[in-house]
Amino acid sequence: MSCKENESQIIEYVDGTLSMEASKELEQHIADCESCEKTLKETRTLLEDLNTMGPALPSDALRISFLEMLKEEKKLQEPKLKELKSDSSLSWKTAFQIAASLLLLVGGYLWGSHAKNQEVTQQISLLNQEAKSLKQDMTLALLDNQSASKRIKAVNYTEEIVQPDTKILVALIDRMNYDANINVRLAAAEALSRFSNNEEVKDAFIEALTTEKNPSIQIAVIEFLVKVQDQRARAPMQILLEQSETPGYVKDHVNEGLVSLM
Amino acid sequence: MQEVSQGNLDAMTLLFERYHKWIYNFFYQMVQDKGVSEDLVQNVFYKAIRYRGSYKGGKFASWIFQIARNISSDHFGKVKKKQIEVVVDQIPDRTDDQPVEATEQVERLRIVMDRLPVAEKELLVMSRFQGMKYKQIAEVIGSNETAVKTKIHRTIKKLKVLYFETI
Repeated sequence: MSCKENESQIIEYVDGTLSMEASKELEQHIADCESCEKTLKETRTLLEDLNTMGPALPSDALRISFLEMLKEEKKLQEPKLKELKSDSSLSWKTAFQIAASLLLLVGGYLWGSHAKNQEVTQQISLLNQEAKSLKQDMTLALLDNQSASKRIKAVNYTEEIVQPDTKILVALIDRMNYDANINVRLAAAEALSRFSNNEEVKDAFIEALTTEKNPSIQIAVIEFLVKVQDQRARAPMQILLEQSETPGYVKDHVNEGLVSLM
Repeated sequence: MQEVSQGNLDAMTLLFERYHKWIYNFFYQMVQDKGVSEDLVQNVFYKAIRYRGSYKGGKFASWIFQIARNISSDHFGKVKKKQIEVVVDQIPDRTDDQPVEATEQVERLRIVMDRLPVAEKELLVMSRFQGMKYKQIAEVIGSNETAVKTKIHRTIKKLKVLYFETI
């Protein structure tokens, strides 16, 4: 035990808050450590002297000025109390007046709410539209983001939009055909395959079938076109079969597709 | 205090009776001046009444003590500029084998306490004169019990060195 650490224990010892066990240990140590003995002596003297300083008492002037201040504060409060009083002693006349005005108020509210109802539904649908277009704009902006993961996120957002307008579709087609990151392209292709009834999307896939060089995208494109049973896909698929650079597994997909298209 | 915050100012008299000595003592130990301390106590209760709406339940003692601490630190902020270094020669010697007059002893203690930084002095006053437990102090200053205990022990050590310094 270093003597520096003992100081804290010595304070607790003098205060009587140190445990019995620790106190005994400390006493033993102090018995053969002069510097700790001195520390104990001084600490005890200091704490005892501090106790002799005792509490100081304020003069009566304090109480008097407090009560004065309280009186002032109460005066500030009073006007409010008066108002309350006059309210509580209502005459019958005022009671009728209040009842009549309440009736008017309720009547007016009912009439007004009927008239307003339509307006409110209109406003809500307008707001919904605005929210939707805002979401679309955000998605469009995000599709152009530098980070590939952000672009994938944006592609996923488009799936939340029930009926995206052409701007979104064009942007997605763009991503599928030209994005630098293959994962973004695949995600875009997958998002687009939702729109099996959209002619624009079909056209884009047909075009991609002839131009696309990446096997993963090729397979996604073939799967989509087979699913929507687009007969225009047959000619470009035949060409793919004849091309020597088409990988074998893509050719397998083409063969399967051609069978189901027939 | 619930009643006061709801507008019953008479309940404040009760709180004044219960706490004004405690708060006065805090200021007195901090500033060592009766007149100033009384003014500061008055200030505390004025603010307590003014801002009674901000009392959101909990220990009243901690709430009003918080007000007192703010006022104390405002006071020390103002005083700091005109503070004059205590002339060390004025401090009477204190050696433990030579009994000293009680008043002299107290006087010396006051002077050495004044040489502590305000924050340390405040901790010492809270723990030694206000009878506050480490836990309550920690609540008031927004710290934890162990840290408060360590700080107070360190302050006592420091004070001891100053007190027994032979000049």
